[in-house]
Amino acid sequence: MNATTIGLLAVGIVFVVDIILLLGLVTLKAFHRRRTERHELRRAAYVATLSRHLASQGSTDRIGAEAADDDAFIDAVIDLRNVVSGAETETLTGLVDGLGVAQRQVAKLRSGFPLGRRLRAAVSLAEIGDESTAPVLIEHLSDREPEIRIQCARGLGRMRNTASIDAILERLGIEDPWVRVRFADTLIGFGATATWPLTAYIRVNLGHDENRGVIEAIRVLGTIGDREVGPTLAGVLRVAADPEVQLAAIEALGFVGGPMAIPPLDNALRSSDWRLRAKAATALGSIGDPTVNRALARRLEDENWWVRRNSAAALGSLPGGEQLLLNAMRSADPFARDAAAEALADIGALTNARQRDETGQATEEDLLLLEHVTAGKRVLV
Amino acid sequence: MSEAKRVLVADDSETVTTVLVTALELEGYQVETARNGVEAYEMGVSGRYDLVILDQLMPGMLGLEIIDRWQQEGHEIQTIMLSGVDDERTVVDSLESGALDFIRKPFRLPELLARVRQRLTN
Repeated sequence: MNATTIGLLAVGIVFVVDIILLLGLVTLKAFHRRRTERHELRRAAYVATLSRHLASQGSTDRIGAEAADDDAFIDAVIDLRNVVSGAETETLTGLVDGLGVAQRQVAKLRSGFPLGRRLRAAVSLAEIGDESTAPVLIEHLSDREPEIRIQCARGLGRMRNTASIDAILERLGIEDPWVRVRFADTLIGFGATATWPLTAYIRVNLGHDENRGVIEAIRVLGTIGDREVGPTLAGVLRVAADPEVQLAAIEALGFVGGPMAIPPLDNALRSSDWRLRAKAATALGSIGDPTVNRALARRLEDENWWVRRNSAAALGSLPGGEQLLLNAMRSADPFARDAAAEALADIGALTNARQRDETGQATEEDLLLLEHVTAGKRVLV
Repeated sequence: MSEAKRVLVADDSETVTTVLVTALELEGYQVETARNGVEAYEMGVSGRYDLVILDQLMPGMLGLEIIDRWQQEGHEIQTIMLSGVDDERTVVDSLESGALDFIRKPFRLPELLARVRQRLTN
């Protein structure tokens, strides 16, 4: 056999292998498409049957025991729970209970099935939200698969199973950052019930193990918005050495609001770290208490652009803040005038000043603002 | 014997239309469906329906746009708006545009049927 023959043979073999692979791929895709279509047809059929159950309690349509194992049935139930409420939801829950769906999914979750099927079971359990499955979901918070752990935490959050809060918190310090964020999100669903466990978690873990989970816990507290946590967040802001933790505490104080949030934020406005000053200005603006107006007005002359910008924006949203921004147009500091002019433009004060100017009713501050803006344009041109 | 009232259910969700069609047919109405905004607009213009249950968020045309166009073109179509968005603005805009009622998703089936019955009786 000469070299040419060997070469042609090699090309032929590669060609045949390619064809076989291509055919395999096409078959696999066709199989997947057919499976999806069959699933969709069964789901639609279940939706129709379940709809008859909901519309007429005397429906004679039977749902066979095999439905408990059928993902299409679970999808139909989940879809319908997003459409109907009240007694209809209870009817659906009764049907799901009667068929033992939750138990079947628990068995799948505990099985040695591949990840896809176990994950599907975890998602189903999270959606079904059957309280009796809470211990299983807690057990699987330490499953070897992160996606399954996340679904279990989500299910416990949907159930508002308070007994699981500590178990979820325990994982915060262990999980990888992306899983930690998803775990933290599930805690938001618990609302004020999670406030004290989260506070305790922060107290115990602040300053240890690179503050793992502390920032997420602070963010959750801010989102829940329970004003009782004001002193805790103020304490974190005072003692934390990590600026990321301090920034999270400032942001959370801004969300939580209330009179107790003002003094620590006012302090942060005088921090030597510009990031804290800028964040504190935004937080004070979102709380909406005009007692901080003067402190924010002083920050218009801050050395840092972000602090000036955020302080001006905050003043723009606070009662009485517009007048202080107009006053700032008399400042000797051109940067302060810039920040104030930008915020005044954002809240529509610049348009108003132009209109008053056109009708000869412009105030002295209006003229200063218009002059500053025009001068700025001249420079830009 | 009086002819059954005709209802058009316009929603891009197959689950919503299945639930509503099943429940309305059991109540004795003649029901047809539209799966997008354009189809809903055109079917409504035909004038065949005593009531239209219209989803706010549909591909093609929004529920509010459909009601506005019907009104501009002088079609008097009784409409109940259905929406998963329940902010005040959407409710007010829907009622101001001429919808007779606003129902939030997820809905209670007996309540929705009672509202349909009331509109069709009046």
